[in-house]
This record gives sequence, C-alpha cells and structure tokens, in this order.
Amino acid sequence: MVKFLKLYEKIGIFIFLVAGAIFLSFASPHFLQGDTLFNVVAQGTYGAIVGFGMTLAITSGGFDLSVGAVMALTSVFLSILIPFIGIPLAILVSLIVASFVGFINGLIITKLKVNPLITTLAMMTIIRGVALIVAGGRQIVIHQKVFMELGTGKTLGIPNPIYIMVILFVIFYFILYHTPFGRHISAVGSNESAARISGLNVDLIKIAVFGLVSFTAGVAGTIRTSQTLIGIPTMAPGFVLVAITVTILGGTSLAGGRGNLWGTLFAGIFISMIYYGLNIIGVQIFYQMLSVGIVLILALFIDGIRNRYLETLKAKGLKV
Amino acid sequence: MLFRERVMKGSEKSRLIEQFASRFDSFVLPLLFIALVVVFSILSPAFRTTFNLVSTLRFTSFIAVGAIGMAFCIMNGDFDISVGSMLSLVAVIGSSMLPVIGGVPAVMFTLIFASFLGFVNGVFVTKLRIPAFITTLGMMFIFRSFAYIYTNNTPVYIQNKFWLFIGNGKVAGVPFAIILMLLCYVVAWLLLRKSPFGRYVIAVGTNRDAAVLSGINVDRTEIIVFTLVGLFIGIASVIISANLGSANPGMLGQGYEFQVITAVVLGGTVLGGGNGNLWGAFFASMVITYLKNGLGLTQVDSYWQFVAIGLVLIFAVAMSRVKFTVLGQKEV
Repeated sequence: MVKFLKLYEKIGIFIFLVAGAIFLSFASPHFLQGDTLFNVVAQGTYGAIVGFGMTLAITSGGFDLSVGAVMALTSVFLSILIPFIGIPLAILVSLIVASFVGFINGLIITKLKVNPLITTLAMMTIIRGVALIVAGGRQIVIHQKVFMELGTGKTLGIPNPIYIMVILFVIFYFILYHTPFGRHISAVGSNESAARISGLNVDLIKIAVFGLVSFTAGVAGTIRTSQTLIGIPTMAPGFVLVAITVTILGGTSLAGGRGNLWGTLFAGIFISMIYYGLNIIGVQIFYQMLSVGIVLILALFIDGIRNRYLETLKAKGLKV
Repeated sequence: MLFRERVMKGSEKSRLIEQFASRFDSFVLPLLFIALVVVFSILSPAFRTTFNLVSTLRFTSFIAVGAIGMAFCIMNGDFDISVGSMLSLVAVIGSSMLPVIGGVPAVMFTLIFASFLGFVNGVFVTKLRIPAFITTLGMMFIFRSFAYIYTNNTPVYIQNKFWLFIGNGKVAGVPFAIILMLLCYVVAWLLLRKSPFGRYVIAVGTNRDAAVLSGINVDRTEIIVFTLVGLFIGIASVIISANLGSANPGMLGQGYEFQVITAVVLGGTVLGGGNGNLWGAFFASMVITYLKNGLGLTQVDSYWQFVAIGLVLIFAVAMSRVKFTVLGQKEV
C-alpha cells in the first residue's frame, strides 16, 4: 500500500491524463488531430507555468493567492510600455515589476512575520487596485501586431507558448532538484525551525521563492496579453484556483517539503483537457470554474486520505 | 523574548509598555474610529450629515454580522474564505424563493440553507483533515459558479416587504439592520463567554491536541463553528440584498471574505487561534465601513479603496505580531 501511495504521488496525474485523453479521443473525432492536441497543451500552459512557481511556494511551506492580480498588473504594464520602449524591453520591465511584487510579498511575510495567506490575500486586493489605477480603469489596446506572435504564433509547427512552458519547466526542474537552493526550499518546507538551526538563511530563501512565483505569474500574464493584444486590469479573476489546483492535483503535498514538478506539468494539461471537454459539450463558461473547484476538492480528498493512511502507519511505528 | 525577561525582573517602564500592549485593542480601535470620523467630517460636508452617519452604520451591519462567524472560525484556528461566494449563492436562491413561498419562510430557508453550506465546509475540513483555507478556497469557486448557473447570470429583484424590511425597515426610528446586528452580537457574546461551547472553541484554537486529550469533541466543535459561519452569512446576505433591492450572482459578496477577515483581525483576534475579541471585530467593522464611506465621499478613486483596505489588513496583522512579541505569548 505504501508503495502504491508513493507511486500514485509520482505518476497518479499521468494516469488521469491518459484516461482523459482516451475518453476525449472517443468523445470527439477532432481531438487526436495534431492541431487540436497542440492547442489543448498550449491552453494548459498558463496553469502549468504559474503552477511551477506555486509548486516551489507550497514546497517551501508557503502559499500565494496574489498570482491572478500579478498577471493583471503585468498585462497593464505591457500594454502601456510597448508603444514607448518596444516589445523586448517592455516584457523585461513588466517581468521585473511582477517579480518585485513577489519580493514585497516575501519581505512582508519574513520581516513583518505576517501569515503568507493573509499577506497574499491583502496583496491580491492591493495589486488589483494598483493595476486598475495604472490603467485608469480601462482596457488598453496594443497596436503592435508583432507582439501577438509570442502567444499565438508557431515555430516548427508547435505553438510558441509550449516552448516557453518547456524552457521554464527545465529551469524550475533544475532549480528544485539539482541545486542547493532547491534542497533548501524543501528543507524549509519540511521543518522550518530545523532549517533555521542548521544555518540556512530561511528569510532569504522564502523571499526568493515568492519572487519566483510572481515571476511565473508575470510570464503567464505576458502570454495571455499577447494572445488578446489587450491590457486588462481585471484579468484572470479566478486564476489562483487553477494554479493551486494544478499544483495539488500534481501530487505536491500541502504539508510542504515535497514538490512534484512533473505532476504540475501534467496537471496543467489535464485542466486544459477538462476545459476542452466542456467546450465539446457546449456548456456555459461558469461550468469551467465549477469543474476546477470540484477537481480541487477531489485532489484534496485524495491528499487527505493519503496523509491519513501514512499517519496510521507512522502511529504503528512503521517506517514510511 | 529579551523584553519578556526584563518584564519579569520588574522594570517599571517595561511593565507600562506591557499594559499598553495588552489593552491595545480595547482603546485603540474606538480611538481610531473617532479620529477617522473627525478627519472625514472636516474634509467632507456630505460625510458629517446625520443621514450619512446613520446609513453608514446600517451598512456596517453587513460586514459586522459576517465578522461574528469569522471571529469564531479564526478563534478556533481556522479560516473560511468561501463566505463571499456563499453570501451570493444563498442570496440568489433565497430571494428567488420569495414569490413562491413568501417572506418569512424564504428568510428561514435562506438561514437554514446557509447553515447547511457552512456545515458542508465543516465536514470537509474535519473529516478529511484538509487545511480549512484551501477547502474553502475550492468551495469559494464552487458556490460562486452555482450562483451563476442557478440564475443564468441575471440578478434577482426583490419585492417582498418582509425581506426588504430586514435591510431597510425602521423600528422606532432606528434602522432594523442595526438592531439585528446588535442582537446578533449579544447572542454571540453569550455563546462565546457564557456557554461551554465558547470555552471549547477557544480551547481548540489554543491547543488542539490538549483539547482532544481533555475530552473535547474537536470535530464536532469545528463543524458547529463552520455552521455558525454559514448562519451569520445567511443573515448578512438577507441584509445586503434587501439594502440593494436585488441579488446579483456576480457582484454580491465580491471581496467580502477579505473585508470580514480584515475586521476580525483588526479587531484583535489573532490568526492561528486562541482567544479573540468579538467587540473588537464590531469596532473594526465600523472603522472599515466608515473608512470606505469617507474615502468615497472625499472623491478618492474607488480603486484606491482596495489598496487602502489591503494595507489596513497587513498593518493589523503586523501590529498584532508586535503586540504578541511584547507580551511574549504564543507565536502565530
């Protein structure tokens, strides 16, 4: 049973993904065509990208509710800056602004010792307010059509967002599993006081993690803005739910210390498949939110049962 | 902790600071409120009219009533961020019942239905042992989408006299919503301070394991707390939808969880559980509502209000941290 649970934690989402794909290929004749498949994956990139950041945050024992607001802020900055300083520089500045928000989150959490949930809940409202103020409450249209290439264009027949997702995946995978910093993140998440006592600079690690989360939100915001060519201060209102669902569904434990980036990647695509399936049925957009909420509760249900079982084993004195 | 040691040694100055810290909530909030009213009265002639001051107090009831349930929840060591969506869902379902079953039964139904939703939250949190904030995060989106689906995203207009009376009526010249709010607070205060249940809530919030060992049925206490959150949200939903004359599935309760948590934390209840301050939550609700009203009347851009209230929340939590460091009590 323990082996099964461990295996599930590693590849459970992959099974869901395959089952979903088989189901959809029967439900819709178009699903297995190359373009559709790529589109489904491309639509899953936002969830997966922000999920990478969220995976780091949850692994470190933190939590970030402000990602949707950061996406909106990035979008607004892009739409304002692009006419003045050109596309590459505008993207750079917007990503720096986004990461800076995470930096502030981290500072408040570590230096003022405010609970991460409350900090990011407050920052979510503040950043939304700032995005609306900067944009003057309007949506700003971007006239540089070239910018659209980033989110909708294709290279070698594969949509560009997929490349961005893969590159970020590799970077985050390397950071989390192959650098001292990644080990430190897990250490802080498993036992913060132990990490502190063994000489880790816990505050610095946490600040860096929150910076990275906001950075991923910035990237997702950039992709989405380039797809619509509009800077939207109210962008992605329910997005935080998707990011957290993707992370937990992927097998990252809420208890902290154990992150599963592969899981996050597949879960991002899985959520996108659900959306696709709902589109085939032709239901209203509200059902998307409902389905993600239900998937989250289910994922938590499984996580809860797993933790409960492991606890019983520990209570019996077995090594887990 | 050094400070704590100095207090132990009995330095007169540190004892004074400690006294100040422990009384912080009980006099700072009313003081803050008075300062706020004075400043805005000077800035805006529209603010200082009796009509505005009374009607803002009426709006306070919307946040203050919801804050009661949340105060219990936070004292118990949990969180409920689904309250805004729950408010919207019960308001649209309850008010759509009005033409069919009439005023009194519809209000009763709303309260029972809201309590039931809270009960469901409680069962999820206790039986699956998932952290409350993440369960309620999922529920927040589920409730909101049900509200959309149920109404097909069209507002429900309310014409029933009894329902409207709860938000707009007056008894002997005093708005009924204000009377209802005070009544809720008295009942909640009795429940918290004069009943075994109140003791259990605080015991569970202070030290869960100790509560289990001393024979408290922790799961049941938690489920009742979440049910209470639902009940008070039900009352708040009737008040606000009566005030507005309609129940809008998308707009109603947006950011409500945020205001309510701010009220409770600003009121001196510490995140992480343990003892709290019910009347503090009441005063904090007044501070928030009058702050919003004042900012609106002095023509501050409504977007700045988001920023202002967010800053107030972070400030409140940071202050309570400082207070607890000074007092050398349990960390959050």
